Amino acid sequence: MADIQTYSHDAGWKHTVLRGLLYLVLILFAAYYLFPLIVMIATSLKSLDEIREGSLISLPRVVTFDAWNYAWNEACVGVECTGIKIYFWNSVKMAIPAVLISTFLGAINGYALTKWRFKGANIVFALLLFGCFIPFQVVLLPMSQVLGKLGLASSTPGLVLVHVVYGLCFTTLFFRNYYVSIPDELVKAATIDGAGFFTIFWRIILPISTPIIVVSVIWQFTQIWNDFLFGASFASGDNAPMTVALNNIVNTTTGVKQYNVDMAAALLTGLPTLLVYVLAGKYFVRGLTAGSVKG
Amino acid sequence: MASLTLDKVRKAFGPVEVLKEINLAIDDGEFLVLVGPSGCGKSTLLNLIAGLESATDGEIRIGDRVINDVHPKDRNIAMVFQSYALYPNMTVRKNITFGLEIRGVSNQERDKAVADVAKLLQIEALLDRKPSQLSGGQRQRVAMGRALVRDPDIFLFDEPLSNLDAKLRVDMRTEIKKLHQRLGSTIVYVTHDQIEAMTLASRIAVMKDGILQQFDTPQNIYERPNNMFVAGFIGSPSMNFINATLSEDNGKLAVTIPRDGDPIVLPLFEAPESYHGYVGKDVVFGIRPEALTHKRTGSDEPGSQYVNFESKVEVIEPTGADTMTVIEIAGKEIVARVRPDRQPTPGESMTFSADMSQISLFDPDTELRI
Repeated sequence: MADIQTYSHDAGWKHTVLRGLLYLVLILFAAYYLFPLIVMIATSLKSLDEIREGSLISLPRVVTFDAWNYAWNEACVGVECTGIKIYFWNSVKMAIPAVLISTFLGAINGYALTKWRFKGANIVFALLLFGCFIPFQVVLLPMSQVLGKLGLASSTPGLVLVHVVYGLCFTTLFFRNYYVSIPDELVKAATIDGAGFFTIFWRIILPISTPIIVVSVIWQFTQIWNDFLFGASFASGDNAPMTVALNNIVNTTTGVKQYNVDMAAALLTGLPTLLVYVLAGKYFVRGLTAGSVKG
Repeated sequence: MASLTLDKVRKAFGPVEVLKEINLAIDDGEFLVLVGPSGCGKSTLLNLIAGLESATDGEIRIGDRVINDVHPKDRNIAMVFQSYALYPNMTVRKNITFGLEIRGVSNQERDKAVADVAKLLQIEALLDRKPSQLSGGQRQRVAMGRALVRDPDIFLFDEPLSNLDAKLRVDMRTEIKKLHQRLGSTIVYVTHDQIEAMTLASRIAVMKDGILQQFDTPQNIYERPNNMFVAGFIGSPSMNFINATLSEDNGKLAVTIPRDGDPIVLPLFEAPESYHGYVGKDVVFGIRPEALTHKRTGSDEPGSQYVNFESKVEVIEPTGADTMTVIEIAGKEIVARVRPDRQPTPGESMTFSADMSQISLFDPDTELRI
């Protein structure tokens, strides 16, 4: 302590200034990123009159949830004026099965690729990995043909299938990297104990996979919920997911542009992913590092 | 419980042969230790017995039953792993009973089996904890409990003590030995630690590069090692190897060690028939540190097994019980084991006694015992 104190006066002054600068920069960046969100929220809580009179960045004088209510229940998507709520449920019906199925399949893939190393396991993994790099646009046409042949065109199950196929590469990668760090002896011990492939998976491997399951669920949910391209291409009309409906609300308004409704609808669309991050973000970071560092 | 036989067992991974024609047979209730440096194939051999890997060639039998194509779970074996491999999501109780549960043993019997094993290993207080809440030694016990509860024909141990600290390792070693004496079970135990091998085994299999070097009782391996590798691997500090020639003087064989000045001539105490072909030729003279000591009483009498010689002392390393005394002969450092009260000072000359009844001679080319 004594050593430090002899020159602490000078260093302390410098330290304070540098800290101050650092925080200033951080606050500026935070403000820069938060500003659009604040404008959106403020706008969504204003009445149309107020938007027209006031400035873009001013806070609402009178807070009203009318726009949110309207967006949810009454907004016109295309010619139907039923609000965004049915599309919200479309998205839920698409995202939840797709997330669960792709996560589950990823877990089985990762388990088989690491703990039951069959001949050619590395090639299978490399091919799956390759899938991560294929852009969405490339598969649009072949995918629509496949969906057509399967009789799943323009339906929610079709969308689920597309997202499962696409998400599989990522979930497999996650689980494979996580399972690489789990000692093989665990599987050997269970084998000698008499457990088979699926018993070991259900009873031993899956229960210790919580961190990577959380990562996979968050990642997949974000991807699938926010997807627009597949939604717009493979589901139409009443089956469209929320992102497509949002686009239609914003683009089909005739007459006065209802900025507050647009903003409320956009916020409603973004809310579920935001919620997932707030609730499980902690595990997301933890699980990502657990998988990647040791893998 | 049952005997175990390995008949010409081979294992190859692609073109790489990791086990070459291993022949081993132990009786019911024996404690076999597979020992060797890392990469010698001992763990692979254990995995073959366990059925976690399949033999490329040869036959593995438990009792009279050939088990090459039998699934691990049907071989009636239990295995303790180096990392313990406890299921992290289950309590100690669940860990121990998992195998029974899979085999459809009733709840009642499971509870009784756990209680018995927990009592035997003194882990009753730990039964409801998770593995992460246990210390290394406790985990080790649980891992053993998981094996014991099944009452298998053969126990397999894969370096079970190497993750423990030195003191605990010695304690657990004794406990494993006690357990073996009490249960009389057949055990195959893999280790790279020759002291573990010597203390635990009823028979040791020394391996190197996938080849079985020697398979014998600990005492035989120690006293009559088959080759220089076994001689150097077993025993600590390890055996001294000195280049020498075998000479004959008046019908009596002697080992002559050249050095600056007069050579050391050590008349042999016993001369088996096999030695005679090497008269006048180079040999490697092997002597353990404890056979090389300070001057013994009676060593001057004719017909004594002890032979005296003078040498300068280079370094001394006291260990408490004995003092390791390093001398230099023919440019090689040789360790002698001297009683602390006879301990010399480095630099001075001293008379040493070699116990010629406890020596080995090796062929310098084949490195095999003569």
